[in-house]
Amino acid sequence: MISVSHLVKRYGSRVAVNDVSFEVGKGDVVGFLGPNGAGKSTTLRILAGFLGLTEGTVSIAGHDVVSDSFEARKAIGYMAETAPLYPEMRTSEYLLFRAELKGVARGKRISWVGSAMEQARVLDVANHRIGTLSKGYRQRVGLADALVAKPAILILDEPTAGMDPNQIREVRSVVKDLGTSHTVLLSTHILSEVEAVCSRVLVIAKGKLVAEGATRDLAKMRRTSAALVTVRGRAEDARKVLKAVKGMGAVKALPEPGAAAKDDEKTCSFRFTGRAKDEVDGLMLVEQAVAALVQAGLAVREVRAAEGSLEDLFAELTGDPISTDDADDAGADA
Amino acid sequence: MRSFWPIYKRELFAFFVTPLAWVLIAVFLILQGMNFYWIIDTFATRVEPSDQTPLQAFFGNTVLLYLVLFLLIPPMTMRLFAEERKSGTLEPLMTAPVSATAVVLAKYAAAVTTYLAMWLPTLLYLVILKRAGDVDLKAAGAAYLGVGLVGASYLSIGLLMSAATDSQFLALVMTALVILALFLLGIGEFVARDGSLLQAVCSHVSVWAQMNDFASGIVDTRRLVFDATLIVVPLFITTRVVDSWRWG
Repeated sequence: MISVSHLVKRYGSRVAVNDVSFEVGKGDVVGFLGPNGAGKSTTLRILAGFLGLTEGTVSIAGHDVVSDSFEARKAIGYMAETAPLYPEMRTSEYLLFRAELKGVARGKRISWVGSAMEQARVLDVANHRIGTLSKGYRQRVGLADALVAKPAILILDEPTAGMDPNQIREVRSVVKDLGTSHTVLLSTHILSEVEAVCSRVLVIAKGKLVAEGATRDLAKMRRTSAALVTVRGRAEDARKVLKAVKGMGAVKALPEPGAAAKDDEKTCSFRFTGRAKDEVDGLMLVEQAVAALVQAGLAVREVRAAEGSLEDLFAELTGDPISTDDADDAGADA
Repeated sequence: MRSFWPIYKRELFAFFVTPLAWVLIAVFLILQGMNFYWIIDTFATRVEPSDQTPLQAFFGNTVLLYLVLFLLIPPMTMRLFAEERKSGTLEPLMTAPVSATAVVLAKYAAAVTTYLAMWLPTLLYLVILKRAGDVDLKAAGAAYLGVGLVGASYLSIGLLMSAATDSQFLALVMTALVILALFLLGIGEFVARDGSLLQAVCSHVSVWAQMNDFASGIVDTRRLVFDATLIVVPLFITTRVVDSWRWG
């Protein structure tokens, strides 16, 4: 349904999307995962026909987005990041306007708007002015807008950004339901969101597609990826020992809560991840790390498996740690 | 062009649901009402016969008409594109199956409709004049055609300015400056040396002279062509600007 091949988008000399190719088949729910500024929104905007592309081809349901933009736009329901809406309109007025704009026949408009409001769970605010709605409701009105013309393809840019946990759960279940009848491509920078709703995942970093596969594989990677260790002794020694362990990936020192009283009671904590290329089992890596620390005369106080974060995943996939914002932070993409 | 109609309706809705349109119409009618009262008062108390009709005095030979347009047109057009760009609603709009031409024409048509609605109550002035004496309806028609065309060309310029920036204030200021510049260029007719090329150019583009002609019932084709140019060229550029957002 969506076919992207060698997509490049440049802003002057800055490359926002760099040679990205992927396919989304009929009925897939695909997560587009990446940190803020990775090029997710840019890619989705190109797919939705809001931005032009510099190189490559994009086709939506068989229509090229450049030469046949009108038909391509007809095939998709797009929800822009932060769901911008007209604040002076009421929810139902807005959705009727959108339905007419998208060419829904006059006789079907009211019933289609009704079913979109039901699917997006905004029926209770149908007569509220959009300007008075909470962020979560506005986001869902944007979702209803994407659904209103019953498109075959849904493109959702960070559909849960800025919502509270209850709303996030609701929207995720809505999207999951939609996946049975629609082809869905949604972007997010939250790893658990992809695991919750998507069957496939595309990982993008710095404008490049770095990984692609079933969500199961991603979850596997995540389970074995990180560990926390607290050591009594000098931080530099501990770091050196950890770095020397075979298959060790990124080692990050963690801030100590409060200074210890005496020198020989000083502790330091590290968070480390395995390198995916070395195929070292995550648990083996922890064993080896502890053994190495003890051998070097350092006292291990605590070892804990840590949840792999998006940063770890990227470090594994790209081979170098990249700086990202807090994974749960709802920031704006470039 | 199928998307023209829903956008047109929404723009009108946006005009009239906000207090802005009502404030503008109220200010317009108060100013025009005062102007009309003043003209009628002068004509009623005048002893010698005048060489012009009240209608001519209302539409031509008065700076008040331009002052009103200068004050009211920029706030009517400033939000058309600038607001959508700033608030991001342009994104859902342009990702719907719409053409740039339909978006531009719908927004423009909504502004022109509002402008004409503003003038509509002034038709009552004709009724009042008709009770007191004869009204040349052809001249009145020409005068309304004149204000319609002048307003439509200013609105077209305002639409372009609104597309040129995402700041409503900047759009307002730029529109006002262009309208002022056009007016001053027309004044050049009286300032420039008689018979010079500059004077000829100024008299051709003079809105002042145009309204004097139209208010007397003289509809010159050259003026119509000039107005049509002032309407079509900015609309065309605006369409290209809107297209360039997508492909730029």
